[in-house]
Amino acid sequence: MSKHSALNTFGRSGNPAFTKNFDSIGAIPQSERMTLDGAVNKTAILLALCFGGAFIGWNFPALTLPGLIIGTILAFVTIFRNPSKAGATAPFYAGFEGIALGGITVFAEMQYPGIGIQAIGLTFGILASLLFCYKSGIIKPTENFRLMIFSATMGIALLYLISFIMSFFGSGIGFIHSNGLFGIGFSLFVVGIAALNLVLDFDFIEEGAEQGLPKYMEWYGAFSLMVTLVWLYIEILRLLMKLRSR
Amino acid sequence: MNAIFFSLLAIFSLFIFMNLGKVKASKKQMDRDDRIKWGKRRKTIFRNSRDGSKIIEGEAEEINTDSRE
Repeated sequence: MSKHSALNTFGRSGNPAFTKNFDSIGAIPQSERMTLDGAVNKTAILLALCFGGAFIGWNFPALTLPGLIIGTILAFVTIFRNPSKAGATAPFYAGFEGIALGGITVFAEMQYPGIGIQAIGLTFGILASLLFCYKSGIIKPTENFRLMIFSATMGIALLYLISFIMSFFGSGIGFIHSNGLFGIGFSLFVVGIAALNLVLDFDFIEEGAEQGLPKYMEWYGAFSLMVTLVWLYIEILRLLMKLRSR
Repeated sequence: MNAIFFSLLAIFSLFIFMNLGKVKASKKQMDRDDRIKWGKRRKTIFRNSRDGSKIIEGEAEEINTDSRE
C-alpha cells in the first residue's frame, strides 16, 4: 500500500474514470475479452452519439444547461457504479454531453465565427498525434508520469471548484479567465494536461486488451476517452476564445 | 479556407484514430519494466507473519565466509 492515502483511494490516474482496478479477473472466455478493435469501435459509437447530440444542442441552445447537468450526473454514475454498467450509461452520457457541447459552441460561434470547427480540428488533431506518439513508443507513460498528471488534474479541478464557489459571492480567480498572457498561459497548461490524459487513456485500453479484461471494459475505456476528449474540446475552445478576444 | 483546413484535419485525424487505434503498440512501448500497473497494487517484499515477526520474501543466498578471508 502506498503511504499516500489519496493514491490508495483513487489510484494514480489523472482521469477519475480510472479508479477501478483490474484485480479480480477470473477465467474469461476469449470471445468475452476486451479487444483494441472493440474499444475503438465503441469510442466511434460514442463520438457519433456526441455529434448527434451536438446537432440537437446547436439547433436548440436552450437545452445546453440541462444537457450539461444530466451529462455530468451520468459521468459520475458511470465512474462510481460498477464498470460493468458502463455500456448502459456511457451512450447516454455521450448524447447529453453532445447537446451541451453543441449549445456551448453556438454561443462561441456567435462571438467568434469559425471557432467551433477550429476547436474540433485541433481536438482530433491532438488525439491522432498523441495516439501515434503512444503507439510508436515516443511517449512512454510510467507510474511517475501518472502521478504527475493525476496531481495536475486534481489541482486544476480544485482551482475551478474554488473559482466556481467564489463566483457566488461576486468574486473569483480572475487570472484563469482573463485574456492576458497569464490567462492564456494557464489555458495552454490545462490543454497540455488534458492532452496528456489521453496518453493514460490509451495505456489503460492497451493494457486492458493485453490482460484480457471482460468485454464491458471496452465501454469503460471508450467512456474514459470520451470524458478526456470533451474536457480537451472545452479547454481548446476557451483558449481560442481568449486568443481571439485580444 | 480556414474551415476547410480544420474540417480536413478533423476527418484525417479521425481516420488515423480508427485505423491506428486498432493496431497493437510497438514493442518499445509494451516491453518495459516501468509500465503503469493499472490493476496491481505493489507487492511489499515484507510480509507480516502471524506472530508479528517479518518474513522477507525472495530467494535465499548463501553467504560465503571464505571470500572475506
